[in-house]
Amino acid sequence: MLPLLALEHLDKRYGAVHAVCEVSLSFEAGRLHVVAGENGAGKSTLLKMAAGVVAPDSGRVSIGGTRLAPHSAREAIRRGVGMVQQHFALIPVLTALDNLMLGAEPVRGGGRLDRPAARARAEAVAREVGAALPWDAPVETLGVGDRQRLEIVRTLVRDARVIILDEPTAVLTPGEADALYTTLRKMTAAGRAVVVVTHRLDEVRDHADDVSVLRRGRLVSTRAPDAAGAARGAMLSSVTRDIMGEAPPQAPPPRPRARGPVALELRDVHLGRALRGATLAVRAGEIVGIAGVEGNGQRELVRVLAGLDRPGAGEVRIGAVAVVHEDRHAEGLVLPASVRDNLVLGELGRFASPFGVVDREALERDAGARLARAGVVPADLDRVTSALSGGNQQKVVVGRAVARVDRVAAFVFAQPTRGVDAGAARSIHDAIRGVAAAGKAVVILSADLNELRALSDRILVLSRGRIAGEFPPDTPDSRLGDAMLGGPEELAP
Amino acid sequence: MSEGARSTAIATATGLAAGWLAMVALVWLYGESPRSVVAQLVGGTWGMPYGVGQVLYKATPLLFCGVAVDLALRAGLFNIGAEGQLAVAGLAVGAVGARLPAGAPAWMAMPLVVAAALFAGGAWAVVPAVLRARYGAHEVISTIMMNRIADAFVGLGLAAGLAIPGTVRTPDVVPGARLARLESFGLASLHGSAVSVALPMALAVSVASAWWLARTRLGRETVLVSLSPIACAAERIPVARRLAMALVLSGAVAGLAALAPVLGYKGYFESGLGAGAGFGGIAVALLGRGKPLGLLLAALLFGTLDQGGLVINGSVPMEITTVLQAVVIVAVALADARVRARLRP
Repeated sequence: MLPLLALEHLDKRYGAVHAVCEVSLSFEAGRLHVVAGENGAGKSTLLKMAAGVVAPDSGRVSIGGTRLAPHSAREAIRRGVGMVQQHFALIPVLTALDNLMLGAEPVRGGGRLDRPAARARAEAVAREVGAALPWDAPVETLGVGDRQRLEIVRTLVRDARVIILDEPTAVLTPGEADALYTTLRKMTAAGRAVVVVTHRLDEVRDHADDVSVLRRGRLVSTRAPDAAGAARGAMLSSVTRDIMGEAPPQAPPPRPRARGPVALELRDVHLGRALRGATLAVRAGEIVGIAGVEGNGQRELVRVLAGLDRPGAGEVRIGAVAVVHEDRHAEGLVLPASVRDNLVLGELGRFASPFGVVDREALERDAGARLARAGVVPADLDRVTSALSGGNQQKVVVGRAVARVDRVAAFVFAQPTRGVDAGAARSIHDAIRGVAAAGKAVVILSADLNELRALSDRILVLSRGRIAGEFPPDTPDSRLGDAMLGGPEELAP
Repeated sequence: MSEGARSTAIATATGLAAGWLAMVALVWLYGESPRSVVAQLVGGTWGMPYGVGQVLYKATPLLFCGVAVDLALRAGLFNIGAEGQLAVAGLAVGAVGARLPAGAPAWMAMPLVVAAALFAGGAWAVVPAVLRARYGAHEVISTIMMNRIADAFVGLGLAAGLAIPGTVRTPDVVPGARLARLESFGLASLHGSAVSVALPMALAVSVASAWWLARTRLGRETVLVSLSPIACAAERIPVARRLAMALVLSGAVAGLAALAPVLGYKGYFESGLGAGAGFGGIAVALLGRGKPLGLLLAALLFGTLDQGGLVINGSVPMEITTVLQAVVIVAVALADARVRARLRP
């Protein structure tokens, strides 16, 4: 059968980043196709190209067998491809019905709005997918679930045959997410193609007719897991492996290290709804890896360890700590400032006289040494940090942290090699092993299980804000995957 | 020439050209000959020693305030409150200067009046600084409101005993607190113009401000905080404190602008003395682009236009030069955005 929507060799670069690399995929009528992958794997970019929102550098998008031309969102909508973006495009002060009509207002003679017609059509479409919406209520009074349903109905009112949803469940409670999938099922039953972007494995398990996995911009696999039960579980393990990366090329070398006393400890730490009783202890000289599906409290855990957030309850025992934050473009770097400024960010006091005048020669020596040790290319302290490649930016962040080895007791590395090339990743791994060998307690959070295996003495799984299990580093993916999916049930809000 | 310098040069030239065209057009609409009005303007400012002196005198508080606004801008803050900080500092300088013992020598009087200017200007910025640092209240709103409060405060202070009864001026400051005019340094040809040693002081403050931002821990961190508060907070730089400090410093520097009219010109403070330099300083900072030389040139430009307005007032309304100033600012801002977009690869 001819697919409703076909992507052929789509390719897209943003500067030095190859966001999507030669991806071909097709979406068929009556099927719910999940596109899974890590953050930054290229999922959103790929589907924005599919919906005409982003123009590909090369390759083509075909709708019903003919090319999408011109490549624009307007044309894609006209041809029956609608997308619900992660951030809703609704006007808060207008009613649900007005938002629905916006841009496609039905008119009667003389250009008058035909509200009754719009309403009848909206209600018919909503009924078809089992959604009831308060049409006359301003959107700002609607909950997130209703707003999302409104967006979906809006694509259907415009006769979408293919509906693409970007991370639709990221903003939903589990109950709302179930309701969403019920709605999506009605749409596939009516012969439409539904495409869902997600990084939640449980959604893959429970709802996907087809699963495609992207990693670093490339299509890794496409599966049609029709089987149920145990076979589905096995499928899930393969998907997990596809998302996280290949099996390690070789076993990590054994690294016996002296273990000291506990240098970092959390006891029953709560923070908002994100951390719900996290408990862990790390000894001096030990590397503890933390695995988990994104959004299970990683970000908050790092902020608590870094001392940036005070936990609502529980106990945190940690001395001086150096932290590599997950997002080098936010917490990690002052991008418009020089490499020099970033290598010593927050440490100018050490180079300043009692009157606060910076000793430029001492600073230059220290920053130069850090630059050389981190192996940043080009080795230019004056370069604006935003002009470096992602890998070299990350070397600056890691280089700054490890330079503090004599002044801290513990290190936290969050996604230390996300989006960096293999060479940079290797030098960052060496730096991490180095601080552990120097007798520091090290916590690593990574979405890459192989990275955790290669570095960690033990692996903890973080699930729904708690440590759901502790494993030796040679534990197979499937067991870690089960622990990531399990964990304590969602608490009622 | 670097890309930044090139875009600045292009934008500034475009802005000046636009301002020039606007002035010529306005003068012509008034039925005067643009050529003769321009000749008057140039002749009455840079064409005679007294004119030069007056331009420099008018440029002095503009430079102080330009440095003040620029200092806040480098921290990512827009200090619209230089006008009020200057007014309050003027009152403080006048009041302190007049209450010193009549025979106080300059080495004793001068530090006290300078400290009064710094303190009063800085204190007037404390409220917006705290509101911003602690509650995130936008400094544009709060500094504007502090300007209005400053007007009332100065009037109240004068009425409450700081002024000579029945007037809106303070008594004369003691001789030791007066700033020497440049004409007393062998520049006799400036005869009669009020330009004083406040001008070299303003130049020194401008250089010191640039040095502070580049070479000290607090200054450098202030700049970094403005570029990325998130990254700085993650590395334990106290973001709110740095912002608050920058705004208070900005106010203190704006306070220094009061020295020129109060101590270099009148010898006392009166209601409204020095008014306008605070707002003019915003224009100077926008045009000066964070460089001491740029700030100086911008202050001289606006000083020339201020003085030139008085000179041509006989032929056309002096407000024409105000229009010209506004056109220059708007045109530079627009040209800058367009030039940057064009130069970007």
